[in-house]
Amino acid sequence: MSALPNKAEPTPAPPAVMRSAVTLPAFPDMTPARWTVTSALVALAAGIPLVMTNQYALSVMVTTLILLVLNISWNFVLGVAGVWNFGQLAIYALGGYGAGIIMLHTTVSPWLAVLAGGVVGTLAAVLLAFPTLRLYGIYTSLLTFAFAVVIQYVIVNDGSGLTGGTFGLPIVKGLYSSLSLAASARAYYWTALAVVVASTIVLAAVGHSRLGIALRGVRDAPAYAAARGVSPMRYRVIAFAVSGFLAGIAGGLYVSYNQSISPSAMGLTPMSIDVTMLVIGGLGTATGPIIGTILLAIVQTSLVSHPGAELTILGIFLLVVVVFVPDGLAGLAARYWRRISAWAAEDDQSGEAAGPGEAAEIPEGSPDPNVA
Amino acid sequence: MAATDLVGIAVTTIILGSIYGLVAIGMTLIYGTLRILDMSQGSMVMVGSFVGWGILVVAGLNPVIAIAAAFAATFVLGVLTQLVSVQPLMKRRNAIDFEMVTFITTFAVAMILTNVALELLGPQQRNVTPVISGGVNIYHGVNLPYQSMAMAIVSIALMAGLGIFLARTRWGMAIRAVAQDLDAARLMGVPVGKLYPLTMGLASALAGIAGVFLGGLYFAYPQAGDLPLLEALIVVIFGGLGSLPGTVYAAYAIGLIQATAEVLVGTTWSLPILYGVILLVLIIRPYGLLGKPSEARL
Repeated sequence: MSALPNKAEPTPAPPAVMRSAVTLPAFPDMTPARWTVTSALVALAAGIPLVMTNQYALSVMVTTLILLVLNISWNFVLGVAGVWNFGQLAIYALGGYGAGIIMLHTTVSPWLAVLAGGVVGTLAAVLLAFPTLRLYGIYTSLLTFAFAVVIQYVIVNDGSGLTGGTFGLPIVKGLYSSLSLAASARAYYWTALAVVVASTIVLAAVGHSRLGIALRGVRDAPAYAAARGVSPMRYRVIAFAVSGFLAGIAGGLYVSYNQSISPSAMGLTPMSIDVTMLVIGGLGTATGPIIGTILLAIVQTSLVSHPGAELTILGIFLLVVVVFVPDGLAGLAARYWRRISAWAAEDDQSGEAAGPGEAAEIPEGSPDPNVA
Repeated sequence: MAATDLVGIAVTTIILGSIYGLVAIGMTLIYGTLRILDMSQGSMVMVGSFVGWGILVVAGLNPVIAIAAAFAATFVLGVLTQLVSVQPLMKRRNAIDFEMVTFITTFAVAMILTNVALELLGPQQRNVTPVISGGVNIYHGVNLPYQSMAMAIVSIALMAGLGIFLARTRWGMAIRAVAQDLDAARLMGVPVGKLYPLTMGLASALAGIAGVFLGGLYFAYPQAGDLPLLEALIVVIFGGLGSLPGTVYAAYAIGLIQATAEVLVGTTWSLPILYGVILLVLIIRPYGLLGKPSEARL
């Protein structure tokens, strides 16, 4: 009798009641101690430009932070949603071109131009999402990669002068064009850091919300998720839109900081490096892109005198990590952290502490549960 | 459209289709047997063209030796690639991300090979002597270089040879058995552990031979494999992953689309038009021409 009466009334249907019955914590992994450590790390990162006098090092850091925004956006669609989108760099470049063209030809505030880059990124990502809706796995990767190649091709061969072809846009005024070189580098650093922190927090919260759970459900068991009423198509479009917006913002920051953008921003080499960063850090985790991007930026910077060896070493890195540390460095760290905290809990109160919470954990080093 | 255009399109279709087929058929063979999309195939083309350059130009030897050497070198390299980047992951074969993970590891191998070549041999483009020089005027103004003709003939012969190998020999039957049903093949005593490296070696060797010819047509340089890889990917997915006949049809279909686009609208737009067609095909048939939905395989 309880299931039927809603037919006549337009008032909240049972699912709505169920939704409010379960409140999901936004940050289930974050203990007060972890919040303190995280805040301290962010404060430390924010303090770097105050003591850093080396302009070259600062510019490398700004570039890395902007790249990190892109990688966070890519991680969302590739790792969390599990959609093989290899067109992310094209979305990023389109956002950059959009923002750059607005900065070049209009007098609106450059902040609005960067935001417009995000809008361009969202539109491009949603447009890219629709044809991939019926595709899975490798087929998606080809279609999105083809999209990237075509976008690059069209920009390179653009005869209208809008994009500047191979050479890219001429010098555009960025966000901080009125500041001195050193001051603007610092300002860009803080801007990019703020975007990184904000997007990490927002996407981590999204990852633990219903949306994030739905995305991971669609990723891990598409048929089951669809059977439970989670539409793979709808969530794929949402994942593309969210990640496209952030990628577009990253593109806008890129064009603003470099005062230019050219098709080389979206070639195969930057894509290889970004994929390596994501995989080494740990796809689908919140900390993975941060660890991977910073680590590889350090490796790249230290190899700057041997440019030829760089990609070879990255390739070997990638191979070793995928084979030996399947869940990336973030996963490795989480496993060791669990082991240490389990050991500490055992030491504190023998027996009781390592109870149900730990027992429910997947055992150490066990292979994927899907393995037959 | 003049008759010359039609003849030109037909000739280009056969030549392009044969090259695409040779590189793509190896990828299909690997996907059918191991369920991985091998991103290192493009590098095998590159290695093949450098071997061709080394034997034909540096050593000044016979083209037959060049082809044999390219076959041997890329076969060994393909076996090594399998042992390094795929074999350690085979125990995760049924995991949901297996295709993604092997895609990344073979991509890493491609990255390493390309950059090692860049380091050892430098970025310059090397001229590879055509295996056969000269050409013949087959129709008013339509010139057919012997090199292209030889390439088409060798490609078709190799594809036919591969078909016979798979249909008639014990090893070929074993490869097909593994592609159809891994567990049943194991129970019948198929040495799966040896078969995987063999398959990847064989596929890489086909790409290597294609490299010798492509080097003669274009150049040998470290990124020489990028475009063939992209084209092979398109062919493989267009034809349906894992379907050998589908791959062959798709290779010629793609060749036809590209040749027609080149004649009608020029080289600049042939690639975007090709992608447009692929987009339509994938929207209408998400699993390619002859592919099977992946759910059906589970």
